[in-house]
Amino acid sequence: MIVQIVVAVISTLAFAVLFHVPRQEYLYCAVNGGLGWVVYKLCLGYGFSVTMSSLWATLTLTLVARVLSALRKMPSTVFLLAGIFTLVPGSGVYYTAYYLIMNEIPKSSAKGIETFKIACAIVLGIIFGLALPQGWFNRLGRLTDRKERAGKT
Amino acid sequence: MPQSKRILNLAVSMGEELLKNGGEIYRVQETVSRVMEAYGVWDYHVFVVTNGIFATIHEQGDDAGSMVRDVPLGDINLEKVAKINQLSREICQGRCSLDEADERLKQCQDAAKVRDSVLVLACGIESAGFCYLLGGTPFDSVFSFLLGLLLQAFLVAGANRAVSKFLLNILGSALVTAGSLMLYALGMGVHSDRIIIGGIIVLMPGVALVTAIRDLFNGDYLSGGIRLMDALLTGICIAVGVGAAVKLFQLLGGGALPL
Repeated sequence: MIVQIVVAVISTLAFAVLFHVPRQEYLYCAVNGGLGWVVYKLCLGYGFSVTMSSLWATLTLTLVARVLSALRKMPSTVFLLAGIFTLVPGSGVYYTAYYLIMNEIPKSSAKGIETFKIACAIVLGIIFGLALPQGWFNRLGRLTDRKERAGKT
Repeated sequence: MPQSKRILNLAVSMGEELLKNGGEIYRVQETVSRVMEAYGVWDYHVFVVTNGIFATIHEQGDDAGSMVRDVPLGDINLEKVAKINQLSREICQGRCSLDEADERLKQCQDAAKVRDSVLVLACGIESAGFCYLLGGTPFDSVFSFLLGLLLQAFLVAGANRAVSKFLLNILGSALVTAGSLMLYALGMGVHSDRIIIGGIIVLMPGVALVTAIRDLFNGDYLSGGIRLMDALLTGICIAVGVGAAVKLFQLLGGGALPL
């Protein structure tokens, strides 16, 4: 489990580089990605389905991304897109298409429907996370503003 | 250029930069609107889809203006998104004159990219990580790492020559598959399917699929549809590349594969 988390953090970090995330945010993205994987694995361990686990993991990720975005004065996408990469069903799309061209239609449709379900769950997680009022997060951002000002004077 | 045209140009150019580098549709729409309003233009219309921006201002007035931009789907660059976002925030707070904003936008467009060698290394690490997360052994990850390096180097070389994206996807995934099958044929005792998945993880349209469905849920059906098509086509191209390499391997007498 520990090794898995470390690998997830490192993968997210590599992905942040590929997505040209601003350099000073690499670490936050990586931690966010690792957190998503932890929640995902925990949910799976408690017997949730893959779909539900993805939803909870994404919800956590999105909330953390919004907190980070308020604290770091960055658009939330920066943390979100890099963070969800360990969860998105990229391999699902591939398997669906692979079985399709290998003429294994039942496998292909099963994989396709599963992929679509996971993608929808992730989107719902993001939407729920983004639905919370921006005002709450702005208040957090103002806290750091005050600290910065205090530090300067 | 009259003032209103300049404002329109600035707002739409900022939107274009956001869209090209992976900003969400609603973020682009909001940014363009906010910039126009910050400079005192209230009579405007903006319409954004995944690969284009359409905007008009002062439709009934003498200084009416309109702009259409074609924005092809490109690579995601979140640094530029962050910079444009910062610029738009400052414009909204009234801390940035038009001249200054033009200047800043130009700087942002010419911002330095991450070096290719760093990208290649990142892709290798990525591949190794995913090979492990998707059930490979550490031994498999080592080979996935090498194939990831190879793939990104291939992609970088292809991007410099303006080859079609779909052709790059097909050839890239075929390259990774061929590498993995060769290891299998040499009897290295590897899980070739895990290595392949890890190796081609950068090509996979997972993020594109999620973005597509997000656009659909936001009511941007056209944008979502465009992205969905793109994700599916990309997936099919990758599968064609892998499938072709596997079939060729079987024809050459490699026998059935545990895929």
